[in-house]
Amino acid sequence: MDFLKRLFGPRVELDADSRRRLDAWRALPAEDASAPLGAARYVVVDVETTGLDLHHDDLIAIGACAVAGGRVVLADSFEVVLRQERVSDKDNILVHGIGGEAQREGIEPVEALLRFLEYLGKTPLVAFHVGFDETMIKRAIRRHLGFDFRHPWLDLAYVMPGLLPEYARKHRALDDWTRHFDIGNYARHSALADALATAQLFLAARPLANARKFDSYHALRELEKAERWAARSG
Amino acid sequence: MSAPNALIQATVDHLARFVPFDGMAPEHLAWLAERLKLAYYGKGETLLAPAHGLVQKLFIIKQGVVQGDQGDAGAWLELNEGESFPLGALLSSRAAISSFRAQTDVFAYELAAADFHELLRHSTPFHDFCTRRLATLLEKSQRGIQASYATSSSEQQSLRSPLSSIARRKPVTCAPDTPLRSALETIRDSGISSIVVVEAEGDIQRPVGVFTVRDLIGRVILPGIDLATPIRAVMTPEPMALPASAHAFEAALMMAKHGFRHVLVMDHGSLSGVVSEKDLFSLQRVGVTQISTAIRGANALDQLQLAAEDIRQLGHNMMAQGVAAEQLTQILSTLNDILTQRVIELECTAAECRHAFCWLSFGSEGRLEQTLATDQDNGIIFVAADGETPEQARAALLPLAERINRALDACGFPLCKGGIMAMNPKWCLSLDEWKATFSRWIDSGDPESLLNASIFFDFRALHGRAELATQLREWLMGRTTTTPRFLHQMAANALRNRPPLGLVRDFVVSSEGEHANTLDLKLNGTTPFVDAARLFALASGVGATGTAARLRAAGPKLRIASAEIEAWISAFFFIQMLRLRGQHEENLAGQVMDNRIDPDQLNDLDRRILKEAFRQARKVQSRLSMDYKV
Repeated sequence: MDFLKRLFGPRVELDADSRRRLDAWRALPAEDASAPLGAARYVVVDVETTGLDLHHDDLIAIGACAVAGGRVVLADSFEVVLRQERVSDKDNILVHGIGGEAQREGIEPVEALLRFLEYLGKTPLVAFHVGFDETMIKRAIRRHLGFDFRHPWLDLAYVMPGLLPEYARKHRALDDWTRHFDIGNYARHSALADALATAQLFLAARPLANARKFDSYHALRELEKAERWAARSG
Repeated sequence: MSAPNALIQATVDHLARFVPFDGMAPEHLAWLAERLKLAYYGKGETLLAPAHGLVQKLFIIKQGVVQGDQGDAGAWLELNEGESFPLGALLSSRAAISSFRAQTDVFAYELAAADFHELLRHSTPFHDFCTRRLATLLEKSQRGIQASYATSSSEQQSLRSPLSSIARRKPVTCAPDTPLRSALETIRDSGISSIVVVEAEGDIQRPVGVFTVRDLIGRVILPGIDLATPIRAVMTPEPMALPASAHAFEAALMMAKHGFRHVLVMDHGSLSGVVSEKDLFSLQRVGVTQISTAIRGANALDQLQLAAEDIRQLGHNMMAQGVAAEQLTQILSTLNDILTQRVIELECTAAECRHAFCWLSFGSEGRLEQTLATDQDNGIIFVAADGETPEQARAALLPLAERINRALDACGFPLCKGGIMAMNPKWCLSLDEWKATFSRWIDSGDPESLLNASIFFDFRALHGRAELATQLREWLMGRTTTTPRFLHQMAANALRNRPPLGLVRDFVVSSEGEHANTLDLKLNGTTPFVDAARLFALASGVGATGTAARLRAAGPKLRIASAEIEAWISAFFFIQMLRLRGQHEENLAGQVMDNRIDPDQLNDLDRRILKEAFRQARKVQSRLSMDYKV
């Protein structure tokens, strides 16, 4: 039963208004991933969770900011804390700094996730170590909104070594790369602050990408694929 | 879009660490942050250039270093975290004059020009900063200096106060024909020490004299004057007066110069108040008048040495009170003048000098810009007696000059290492000999002549026959205004000395030797202003010798905007203030006072102002190079 549940998702009963909002989002047309990097809008995202276990830990917060016209648009940013049924343990709280009270007082998950989708639209996503952020968001959406969130993601953890191969061995974590570009972080391990740092990394990647003719989101995804393949076979 | 979130708040918090954002209302800062975009510029990339045309946005550096370039003048300006550009171009809606390049990887906030203009309308601190950024920074710094000296907290008023705020008492007056008895009764009844004699014409009270209790013994009692005599017969005529808008320090200067204890305050030609020595004393711990009175009464060198020590102490106290550099240097110079005059008087009397001469001061003393550490620069214009050759007159005067120089040395004004002193036969000359010497410099234009011109042409009469100095000045003006080649050479010479803004960190500092990592605030800081002011004065026939006075007088003649002139003057005095403060601190620490500072020791605000001041120095120099095509 468990594996069937995981395959089809749990049956979720949404109220009429939420259903309408979700349908409206799903009806949005997909965005063109081949537009020049400096022209389109991208959303850079980071999440905070109760732990690092992809199957059992829960999503606590989503932070996101938009890059449009080659610039981080500060006002076009998003932050939400999801209301938790059980508050994460102390060690975990020390990592992201979202205390027990803030977790209990968060936004009800259906509403929080709908707000995220409405902020996002069909804009392509960017993250560092997509595997983690994507899985966490996907699981939460499947559980609370009852559908499979399939969305374009670009992983800077593969794109950056592809653009700067000479640093591929040295730089692995987000911190390594932000240090490389001297990017500050006003509050490490806050979802929004980490999203901003990641967005700045994405800005710094653009001139490098352009120089090597990876001049669209689509082209960078191809680079990412090649890097993934190289990493697996290397 | 979401409501203001942690990212906007973090941006607000970040900006609020810097001027002018630190002074802006939170709602205006949030308004600003919500409209910012964050852009990345790789090392070497151009953020803005004149070729981009009309400026579209304001840049605020989030992190990294941006370098400003001005065409052939080369790279000279470094901008760091929290600094904004291009304010001038945005304010006047034009293209940028400089190009701005990323010297490191740079992240910059960008604000659209329309939003910039809207913010100007909403936020007064932001508006003030953009339109008068140097003045704004200076005011903040001045407040900082005052706050950092806790001892000054009891000094609510400063020498900067206008006289109208100090002269609170209504002056006690009487008419010129008032009998002495009735005037003295008035003095007794009102419990004051002086009465102003006025002629009334309608509402206007025109002061014609002053009578004080101190005058009583010498002018009334001892001569046995009848108390029915009209007061006009015993009053001091033509009393000293200043407009109500004048500053307290001007009154202090006037009292110090002339030895009076009262200065009348005038409003639209009518007497409005009296400021006494006592009123000014409450502003100051060590009295300016106290020292000048002591100097005037001194009859021996050891008394003058004590007074000289007092002058230095006064300088340090005023520094501690945050008295501005302009006033401080003027007061120090004035007191040093009085001291020097007394030294000369005493030595002349002792030597029974028969020659008419004028004692000249040169250099910073000539410009009334002495700092706390200063050596001698002086000379003599003499008039040879009938039938006497200049050589004979010189031979007679040199021993006296040497005594004066040595006495000044004993008072703490070290002998000039370069020998620019009256005891040097080269600088003890008749009027014709001075003219011949100056002519030689003007005509030859070799480096040594130009250097001499930059010291000697700031001459000022300090004692004796002032008209000799006036004649020399008038003759010099006639020569320099009509010798463009000489002015051109002076300009080229002045431009050799560049303000130390540069590529290594914020300032170019010498990296090795005795003076590693320090800036010479005199050579690189004030000298560009002093040189330019001298040149402007020589070119436009302005006789003043002070740098600020020269700029203010020459500016209109050369069609330089007064706002620009004032910015230069502010910058000049800021650097002077840093020199004074450096010397003050070295003195406290028992070190030798010099003109060097380590820019890393300055606080952020002062570093920014210093950069801005150097930027102004660059502007003065561009003006010179434009005017003289060098």
